[in-house]
Amino acid sequence: MLRLLRGALVALGVAGLVAGVLRLRNPGTPPVSGGGWRELSGPEMT
Amino acid sequence: MGSSSSIRAVVVGVGATGARVARQLASSPTVVDVVVRDPEVARVAAVVESMAPQVRSDGADPTDLVDADVVVLAGPVGTHASQAAAWVAAGIPVVSTTDDLGEVDELLALDPVARSNGVGLAVGAGFAPGLSDVLAVHAASRLDQVEEIHVARSGAGGPACARHLLAALGAHALDWRDGQWVRRPGGSGRELVWFPDPIGASDCYRAEMPDARLLVPAFSGVRRVTTRVAARRSQLVTARLPGLHRPPEDGAPGAIRVEVRGVVGGSSATVVMGAMDRPAVAAGAVAAVSALALASGESRRSGAGGLAELLDPLAVLTDLARRGVRCAVFDPSGVGPG
Repeated sequence: MLRLLRGALVALGVAGLVAGVLRLRNPGTPPVSGGGWRELSGPEMT
Repeated sequence: MGSSSSIRAVVVGVGATGARVARQLASSPTVVDVVVRDPEVARVAAVVESMAPQVRSDGADPTDLVDADVVVLAGPVGTHASQAAAWVAAGIPVVSTTDDLGEVDELLALDPVARSNGVGLAVGAGFAPGLSDVLAVHAASRLDQVEEIHVARSGAGGPACARHLLAALGAHALDWRDGQWVRRPGGSGRELVWFPDPIGASDCYRAEMPDARLLVPAFSGVRRVTTRVAARRSQLVTARLPGLHRPPEDGAPGAIRVEVRGVVGGSSATVVMGAMDRPAVAAGAVAAVSALALASGESRRSGAGGLAELLDPLAVLTDLARRGVRCAVFDPSGVGPG
């Protein structure tokens, strides 16, 4: 019984560690649906 | 104050940003003399050697007063307020590059002295705050009424700036909401922000930055002003544990994004502007352009304030473009993401 409990605790610890690493990693970012940046120039600078 | 074609400037602090300020001033045709000061003698010698004869050292202490047309304070956080008080009391315009909220408050408190002496005290003249303030005013010119301003920044000017940003993530952010100041925990409020290319998307979080303090006085009736800083999740942990996180290398690219929401022609509208550059390079150019404006008597008023209040945004943006700092506007229907 004690062995089972210890195993469960180890499994939970490993799962938490893996989840923590995954969470700390930069998540994927969704693409912009449209539009974009363009340099300020011409009439926008007057 | 000297004539606009014979400006004598003093730059206090020649770290990542201060050295760029000196270089930008030395390359300006209206500047005849740039004195650099820093407690680190070797650093001063390196700057003077690479920029002589336009830039020189007078060997004086950073706090010693000298006859000048403008002073740029680019030293460590915590040194600006006392130095600015001395220069302003002597009737000399001052530009401070600080992005520390407490120090910004101390500098803004010098407003009565600066006004009574008829000199400008430009506070937060860097990448953000600084260029972000100028872009906010320029974006607002497309609107009939400004309701909200949201500033985000990515990247740091140098090791000291990076350490300060980490500390800001661990402190409480200052937002302006419905006519009052609101404190929120730093590191909260995650938001995916799209910066100008090639920085692109980054998760940004609340941090103790002075942008709202500097922008609110410039926009009467604005309801919300917020600031966010790009950070990795690991940095949110190390922000509260100084020394665990290695600051980013000097010279890494950064970006700012300024979103201004309001009303135009009776309809809601949003204008988004930004810039991508190495933060120390851009901050150096912004501080130098601000210094030249103050030394030439081109500030909109005397006293202490952010660039949004003190400077003409178009003149600043035009001068910055000439110096290679280019800004961008987000066009929701135009070119696709690069």
